[in-house]
Amino acid sequence: MQPDTSDAHAIVTCRGVSKIYAHGAVEVRAVDGLDLDVAAGDFAALSGPSGSGKTTLLNMIGGLDRPTSGTVTVDGEDLSGLSAAHLAELRLHKIGFVFQAYNLIPVLSALENIEFVLQLLGIDAKERHDRAAAALADVGLTGMEERRPSHLSGGQQQRVAVARALVARPAIVLADEPTANLDSKSADDLVSLMAELNARSGTTFLIGTHDARVIARARRHIEMIDGKITSDTTGDLADVVQ
Amino acid sequence: MAWRNLWRQPMRTALSLLTMALAAALLVFMLSFQLGVYDTMKSNALRIFDGFARLQPPGYADDPDIRRTITDPEALAAKAEQMKGVTAAAPRATSYVILSNGERSYGAAIVGVSPARERQVSTLASTVHEGRYLKPGDTDVVVLGDALARNLKLKLGDKVTLLGSALDGTIAVDSLRLVGLFHTGIGDLDRQVAEMPLRRFQQGFAMGNTANTIALVGPSLGAVNDALPRLDRLAKANKLTIEDWGGLQPGLKQAITLDFSTSMLWYVSLVVVVVFIILNTLLMSVLERTREFGMLMAIGMRASLVGRMLWLELILLALIGTVAGVVLGGGLALWYGHAGIAVGAFEGLMAQWGLPGRLYPSLSATSALVGPAVIVVSVAVAGLIPMRRIRRLDPVKAMRAA
Repeated sequence: MQPDTSDAHAIVTCRGVSKIYAHGAVEVRAVDGLDLDVAAGDFAALSGPSGSGKTTLLNMIGGLDRPTSGTVTVDGEDLSGLSAAHLAELRLHKIGFVFQAYNLIPVLSALENIEFVLQLLGIDAKERHDRAAAALADVGLTGMEERRPSHLSGGQQQRVAVARALVARPAIVLADEPTANLDSKSADDLVSLMAELNARSGTTFLIGTHDARVIARARRHIEMIDGKITSDTTGDLADVVQ
Repeated sequence: MAWRNLWRQPMRTALSLLTMALAAALLVFMLSFQLGVYDTMKSNALRIFDGFARLQPPGYADDPDIRRTITDPEALAAKAEQMKGVTAAAPRATSYVILSNGERSYGAAIVGVSPARERQVSTLASTVHEGRYLKPGDTDVVVLGDALARNLKLKLGDKVTLLGSALDGTIAVDSLRLVGLFHTGIGDLDRQVAEMPLRRFQQGFAMGNTANTIALVGPSLGAVNDALPRLDRLAKANKLTIEDWGGLQPGLKQAITLDFSTSMLWYVSLVVVVVFIILNTLLMSVLERTREFGMLMAIGMRASLVGRMLWLELILLALIGTVAGVVLGGGLALWYGHAGIAVGAFEGLMAQWGLPGRLYPSLSATSALVGPAVIVVSVAVAGLIPMRRIRRLDPVKAMRAA
């Protein structure tokens, strides 16, 4: 089962988005007048060579960075006018992040790492615990609740990161090179897990990646070169879920 | 989480805690010791003669003229004794006279006292080392400081002639028998003071039923200080003024103030050093965790909340360190408060201030809490610097930090 995105509304809309960095007198266009829509339920891979602007685009969609020009809208909210505090709120409520380097909080256990997001949302302890435990079970880590990140493998840590990204039921999960630090099997497992979660819960995924395995399994493949989208193709996810 | 973060680097945290605990303990102990010594100095110096406070006519402090008098001093002393914080009151009459023995004459302050009352406000009677102190019923007797008696070449039983000005402007002359010699260790008292019965003084100096001052004591100097507003009202009602301990011993007050000011420099330096050590540790921690702070902000934690978490870590560190310091320093102060600290070679110097051979720290809420509170507040204020730094952190740049 996979979400039908043909009539889905756009969770992310980018219009004329540019990001220009100044390196001394030289201007670098990391993202160059880009238009993009990501529909609810999409499972999209964003690929391109290093320096193509993938991470910059993900950061702008995630409200971590601001475009030099153009507008980014997430779940109907235009990010351009939001303060840093409002952007943090938006990330907390609507966006889940999965990073290349796992980025779990080392002093918290796997379960506490997931609970932490819910704590920021002000959810009471009982519900927090139940939802975090369920999220951990969803990523296949039941029994590892009390383990600190240092006692988990890379693949397990990234699964916890996925659970943390999903536990607040965000509108979209942005993953930046989530498989880059994983061995082949762990990477395969992680992609399968994300695809399964997308199929099961309809959560939108936008995954910045170099990894051909991720691209091959994504339903939609957006390719960027020099800050521009050079191709945007939609395929079938059936093989991914299987 | 703040608590767990503290123990990421257990050795560093332990060293920080140790630094703060030792600094706080040092502050608590030194302040207890210093305040204890001050209390002893004040108490001993004041109890020998002055008392903890004094009722006197207006202007008497600047011009102790025998004509500035208090009417019916016994009744007023009895009223003062009824007040909370006052345990004894003794009327005194004072004049500056010439004391003579044959051809030897010396200027001295002669003080008329009620022997029974005087024993309650002054420890001078206990310093009589030859003969005896005045007693109720005495008439034509006098006790002298031993230095004054030596200068006049007087021995017990000798007659000493007194020559002064009476209240009515006539010459006051009296012949008194020396019954006791006192040695307080305070040069001014031993060289210049004589005491005689108040009744005889009033007769000889034509004072009627008046005195010049009423010396007051209480269970402690603090208790009398607390009673000052009430004593002030009593004084005003009788057209008098109240002089506190600082007015009675201005030299001692100045010495204490100066000593305390000098010590404050040391204390402030200690606090500044501790704050810089802790701040340095914290800044190192911030640098090490910049990437993590960026991640926390990326997943939706507000920068202000991240800053507050770090600040909370600092406060926890400061509280644990200072509480340990209070326990350690307070424990030491309590122990030495009972056992005392022998001053050894400085005993002679200490005696000049009426201090004994052993000094006793005095642990109080002030000495136990002021120093550590200053450390905690200073650390808390200094902690706003990294907190501000975090609030300005860009999550993307932070996550790129190595």
